[in-house]
Order: sequence, then C-alpha cells, then structure tokens
Amino acid sequence: MTPEHTRPVAEPGSFRDPQTRVFHADGEVLRGLGAQAAQDWKALRDSEFFARAQADGTVTATEEIDRELPGEPGTWSATLRHEPLPFVTYHYEWSHTMRQDAARLHLDLLQQALRAGFTMKDGSAYNLQWRGSRPEFIDVGSFEPAKPGEPWAGYRQFCQTLLYPLMLQAHLDLDPRALLRSQIDGVEPAQMRRLLGGTKRLAAGVLKHVHLHDSIQSRNADRSTGAVREQLRDAGFNSELVLAAAKAMAKLVTKLDWAPPATHWGDYRETCSYSDDDRAAKQRFVDAALDATDKTDLVLDLGANDGVFSRQAAARAKTGYVVAVEADPAVVDTLYRQLRAEGERRILPIVMDLADPSPGGGWASHERASFAQRAAKADVTLALALVHHLAIGRNVPLPAIVDWLAGMGHTVVVEFVHAEDPMAQRLLANKPDGLFPDYHVETFVRQLGERFDIAKRETLPGGTRTLIAGVRRA
Amino acid sequence: MESHLAYLDAGSGSLIVQALVAGTAGVVVAAKLYWRRVTSVFRRKTPAEATAAPVETATPAAATADKD
Repeated sequence: MTPEHTRPVAEPGSFRDPQTRVFHADGEVLRGLGAQAAQDWKALRDSEFFARAQADGTVTATEEIDRELPGEPGTWSATLRHEPLPFVTYHYEWSHTMRQDAARLHLDLLQQALRAGFTMKDGSAYNLQWRGSRPEFIDVGSFEPAKPGEPWAGYRQFCQTLLYPLMLQAHLDLDPRALLRSQIDGVEPAQMRRLLGGTKRLAAGVLKHVHLHDSIQSRNADRSTGAVREQLRDAGFNSELVLAAAKAMAKLVTKLDWAPPATHWGDYRETCSYSDDDRAAKQRFVDAALDATDKTDLVLDLGANDGVFSRQAAARAKTGYVVAVEADPAVVDTLYRQLRAEGERRILPIVMDLADPSPGGGWASHERASFAQRAAKADVTLALALVHHLAIGRNVPLPAIVDWLAGMGHTVVVEFVHAEDPMAQRLLANKPDGLFPDYHVETFVRQLGERFDIAKRETLPGGTRTLIAGVRRA
Repeated sequence: MESHLAYLDAGSGSLIVQALVAGTAGVVVAAKLYWRRVTSVFRRKTPAEATAAPVETATPAAATADKD
C-alpha cells in the first residue's frame, strides 16, 4: 500500500459479487477487480459502448489506477476509481417517475451493451444512483462480454426491484416503498401474483412477468439454472432474444405511468399561512445563514415540500448539492419532473417520512445505510416548518428533535411554528388540549442552544413563526 | 467456463420466462425446450448426450429411457 493513502475500508453494500468489491478511502471510491473481472474490464474499457456511456454520464466516471486494496494476496488484479456520489439513495426513497427513469436507463444500457457484445451480470435497482435529477449506473463490474445463447441473469432481479414496484404503483396505486424497504431483494413473483389477481391479470405486463413468471418458476424450482441455461441454448436461445426482451420491457416501463393524486401538500403554497412579507423575510434569513457558512457541499432540506428552499439553497451554495427530503410521494414526483425538465444536477428529491426515516437494511443491517448514517456528513440542515409536524403531529419531544438535528448538519436553520399559528392549530386540533405544555419557542431555543451556538434569531412579520440559525458545538 | 457469470441465482424459471417475453421467436424457443423435455422421455440417449446433460440423466424418466 502506498504510504500517503489511508487504508481503504470495504463498502458494506458491495459483497455480493465476489469478483469485485468497492472500498472507500479519503473520500475516494475505489473498486477491486478479481482476475476474471479485470479481464472483463479490459474488454469493456476498450469498447466504444463504454466510451459513449462515460461521455454521456450514464455510467459513473471510472478510471484505472495503480493502488493496492485490502484482501488476501492475489485477490485483486486491478483497481478502479469512480467519481464519488454526493449522496447515496435507495429505491425505497424514490418517487414513481424516478423509478421509471432508473428502470429505463438500466434497460437502455443493457440494450447498448448487448449490441456491443456485452451483457450485464445483474438487474438490481441498487446499481442505480442519482446526480440531481439524472440517474446513473454505478456498477461497472456488472458488464461482461456476452456468451452465445446466454440469457440475462438479471431479469428476475430487475422484475423484483424495478418492474414490480412500478406495476404496484401504476396498476394498484399502491406505494411499493414499504415492501422494498423491508425486503432487500425486492417483491417476489408469488407476492405479486396474490396482489394482481382477477381483472388485474389483464393489466400491462402482469400476465407474463407476474403470473407466468411465478408458475414457471415454481415448476422449475428443482432444476438448476445451469441445466436450464443449457436447455435454452440447445433450443436455440440467442442474444437477439435478450435484446428483444429488453426492448419489450422498456416499452412496458414507459407504459407504467402513474398520475399522482391531488394532495394536501400539492397545493400547500396556496393554502399555507404565509404572507408575502413572511416569505421574503424567510428567504432573506435562509440566504444570510447560508452565506455565513464556510462549507455548503451537502445541504439537507428536511420537509422540502415543493422544493422552493432547496432551489434557493442550490442557487446560494454555488457548488453544493442539495437533498430535498419530503414525505409526500406525489409532491416529490412533481418536483422531480420539474427538476428533470430543467436538467438540474444539484438537487436530489427523495421521499421519506422524517418521523420514520430509512433504517439500515440487508445483511447485518449494514448492507444499506440508514438515513441517519448518510445524513451525518451534511454541512447544512434546513428544517423549515418541520418541527411542529414532528412535535405536535407525531409527539416527538423537543429535546429529541434537537438531538436528532445535532446528528446532521454542522449548521442548522430551523423555522419554529408557534402554537398560535393556524398551521400548528390545525395539528393541535387533533390532539387533546394541553398535551404539549412545553411546545414554546423560548423552550425550543433554549434546548437548541444546548447543542448549537445560536447565531441568529428572527420572528417573521406575521408574528407566529420564528427562524433560528445555529452552529453545532464541537 | 461460465462459473464467473453466475454469482447471482438467476432463477431457472425466470430464464425461461425471459424467452417468452422476447416475442414470437422466444416463444418458439421455449416451446422447443418444453417439447424436448417431453420427448426426452422417449428418446434413446447416446452416451455423449447423457454426460452433456447430467440433470436430465438424474431424473427417473431419463433413467428409464436409458434402460430401453
């Protein structure tokens, strides 16, 4: 190992393919390749297909470097370095259109790869990440030269992590995030079959990808994939058929649209209690707090709603990256589609209920990092008009909210909505009188002051909302 | 030769469905696969075929065919 580098640490989420493993060192993302994978990489690197995917940014920017990685001698035959992602998200944090675009990119890359004589080893949604509103395929180790008569090994995984979730939302208006979050390998064909019975069998793609898939799977359960591969080859299967299947699936994915219902948050800005003066003052306060911060590489906008402050933060933090976290999938979907149309690369919208953020998942609960773990590296946290939802709506004690904020951004900008504000009143109306005697701006500022140095405080002209900027104590 | 391919269990049934998803040409391939499975019961296997398809020879049906 070269002395100027710290020892790379293995990424807990990249152990499944023993031929390749991702490591982190000094903010760099490195990938070790075993002997076979290194050979595959050389073929890929020299291909026109890969050059094109690098140029258009659909596959993470990658270069080969000379660096030793941890492992038994001879484990790694080559080392790659990937362009790091500003923030990692998982498919149980995406809106429907994001999932649709990610699925489309996967199938598009598969088709391009097949035309260039390559195939993909898998079909997992976890291999797709985002730079703002653009999806990107991160697993360079997934590509390998195709062999004649070989089917796509990733078809089942693609169904379970991308196609089925799209079907659930499009055909049943059922948000698939709860299932995806609790099952790392996605939704099983047998589960889908139970959900899509009756006339739903006739919905796009259901008969083939769900019912037929499940029944053929159970009829072939005692046959090995090796034996079936051989039978398919003998029966004349070829890569043209994989290409045809990929094309058919891409067409299906495009059909699986979802029209978000009109929700409470969808027209929030029209119904909320701000005056124009309030909004202008709030914007000035947020700008000033961002200007006063040295490091704005990663900004979390918690409770981002329509993303107006995410946009403001992105404009203010010139080189920074903003993650807009919002609980309403319909609002996130709308925001995503707007950002996509604008070609925005520095704002990533994600769906998450902040009173129930993504836990760690998969093997040893570390294969997928919890939101708390990923949010810990944030520089700035915006929590605008969020605290009353957590404190009144979800009964989270104020000191617990302060502790939670202290686990994230170094700088925090909080908007505290007073109990008298109409929006707080609306939440209080659902709870017994006097349930939250401590819900008061002075109490909150004092508690926040125990973990943060309060830099600035301002009550908006309307008199029922107070903004507080704080810097976390070392 | 294909050992490095198969880190992922592709699912034996899923591989066949893939052919069906590919349209008419794929359906023909799948039909051929099933037809061969059915006729393999009646077909006399050459020793070369028997070693090339170990799973098939392991099934009772194939074993009976071998005894003919």
